[in-house]
Amino acid sequence: MDSYNAPESTPSASSRPEDYFIGATPLQKRLESVRKQSSFIPTPPRRKIPQCSQLQEDVDPQKVAFLLHKQWTLYSLTPLYKFSYSNLKEYSRHLNAFIVAEKQKGLAVEVGEDFNIKVIFSTLLGMKGTQRDPEAFLVQILSKSQLPSENREDKVLWTGWFCCIFGDSLLETVSEDFTCLPLFLANGAESNTAIIGTWFQKTFDCYFSPLAINAFNLSWMAAMWTACKMDHYVATTEFLWSVPCSPQSLDISFAIHPEDAKALWDSVHKTPGEVTQEEVDLFMDCLYSHFHRHFKIHLSATRLVRVSTSVASAHTDGKIKILCHKYLIGVLAYLTELAIFQIE
Amino acid sequence: MDETVAEFIKRTILKIPMNELTTILKAWDFLSENQLQTVNFRQRKESVVQHLIHLCEEKRASLSDAALLDIICEDVDLFDMKQFKNSFKKILQRALKNVTVSFRETEENAVWIRIAWGTQYTKPNQYKPTYVVYYSQTPYAFMSSSMLRRNTPLLGQALTVASKHHQIVKMDLRSRYLDSLKAIVFKQYNQTFETHNSTTPLQERSLGLDINMDSRIIHENIVEKERVQRITQETFGDYPQPQLEFAQYKLETKFKSGLNGSILAEREEPLRCLIKFSSPHLLEALKSLAPAGIADAPLSPLLTCIPNKRMNYFKIRDK
Repeated sequence: MDSYNAPESTPSASSRPEDYFIGATPLQKRLESVRKQSSFIPTPPRRKIPQCSQLQEDVDPQKVAFLLHKQWTLYSLTPLYKFSYSNLKEYSRHLNAFIVAEKQKGLAVEVGEDFNIKVIFSTLLGMKGTQRDPEAFLVQILSKSQLPSENREDKVLWTGWFCCIFGDSLLETVSEDFTCLPLFLANGAESNTAIIGTWFQKTFDCYFSPLAINAFNLSWMAAMWTACKMDHYVATTEFLWSVPCSPQSLDISFAIHPEDAKALWDSVHKTPGEVTQEEVDLFMDCLYSHFHRHFKIHLSATRLVRVSTSVASAHTDGKIKILCHKYLIGVLAYLTELAIFQIE
Repeated sequence: MDETVAEFIKRTILKIPMNELTTILKAWDFLSENQLQTVNFRQRKESVVQHLIHLCEEKRASLSDAALLDIICEDVDLFDMKQFKNSFKKILQRALKNVTVSFRETEENAVWIRIAWGTQYTKPNQYKPTYVVYYSQTPYAFMSSSMLRRNTPLLGQALTVASKHHQIVKMDLRSRYLDSLKAIVFKQYNQTFETHNSTTPLQERSLGLDINMDSRIIHENIVEKERVQRITQETFGDYPQPQLEFAQYKLETKFKSGLNGSILAEREEPLRCLIKFSSPHLLEALKSLAPAGIADAPLSPLLTCIPNKRMNYFKIRDK
């Protein structure tokens, strides 16, 4: 079983890009030193490349297919107090009543909304990193079909799921009364997310917080997902930067053929099975350098807001879309780590 | 009629090619229909010319009439709007039974054309028309992109034939602002005349410094900042930039890096990249990059050539 090593060492000093910028402007030098400072956040300098873990073999691809190719908004969630997996039916009823009450209060008014809804709690088996991780569970709001016919499937209005992948560092710190599922993903109307969040917060004394992803972590994701072995690519590898110029905004999109991105990564990659900080930096610097050669623009002075690969795509606002079933657990593991960091 | 006038008219008519002669004479509108009907245009040119001079004498052509004929001849293209519209419409209607074509002439010799497309069997779809703006005095037309690809060759052919050109070539220039496209294509954006005898020194004008500021305050890197300002101004000018929303570059170039010579050193194949710049006002945004320290000055020619080359879609390969 792939166990996750969280080394306690501080980030190792690596050869910094400022060595490579000949004649860097004062702005660039300042940005480099800020970047250096931001890595005092104790994220590990190396991570395992996502592989297919043993546990994942248990995950039924059919059952999780609905999680793929959807955009999820991310939140971190503090541990739930006195949550029990045997009470899921009860929770469904309570939440259902709560939602109806809230909507009738006029707090969330949607034109043409039909109050015939059904709330379902269910567990997502196999969605974990180690045996210690709590079971992931899913909450769905469905609209009850008006006609009681068997052919009519209830339409899913909103989906949210709670999971914990390799959450050892958090699990060690809490007592038995708490259930740790630090990563929450939501798809559907924002108003529904707010109502459900309120109910959970009241019922389990927990706290949701939107999970933003900064440029540093987006770079790591891009490198790690590029490192994943793929049989075939379904999407181009793409980066999006937002340039802080005024008065007009400027967006720069850099798409590279996934095979070429992989070739570049393979040329940078030295440590088998792992990704290091140096490799991530070098990978990104190669892209910056290729871009600068053509356009004389320093992408490192701009803000990375989105990365997209055949494995998954992530946006700085905390939005994610997972495209590849094979690396689902790997992607969630990284996100769990970010969520845990935000809670602590 | 004065001999010099007669000679002048004779020489002017001799310069006109035979196939355009009747059109020009009609446009001149000096000789009457009846008179023109008496002329046998199938004769040798000299005989035709002599006959025409004779008719001009009968009507006592003056110098101003002769001058008018000269002006008409200079306008070689001699754009006939009615003939263009008829020809354009006919070509489309012959190919597709169902097509709606409407015209509207505006000032600046521009004609707006609206085409609603159908097929042999279906009525034209009025909700997805194509718009074309043709500037008759220029070899340029602007087309909206709202049409099915299969109609593009037909539309190109109709425009080419009706406007009496040889071929139509698509330019790699796209924008949502017709005025900006016009500004770039007709090179009209450089409107302000730069005066070189400006009284305010360059330094203050571009850096916005107060002339009365305390002289003990110095700006770091002032030499570099001035250099960047100067180069930016030389590249982009003082005038407002035409408004474009994006530029796209398809790159197929090898990876060459100063960072670490060994990366991708053995790889022969280029990196296949697609770069897109987007902004509400792209050229103004690019102009601000070097002064902000985000880009080097001078900016890459790939970006600065956009108005000059009249392109915003590029394919770049290693030489």
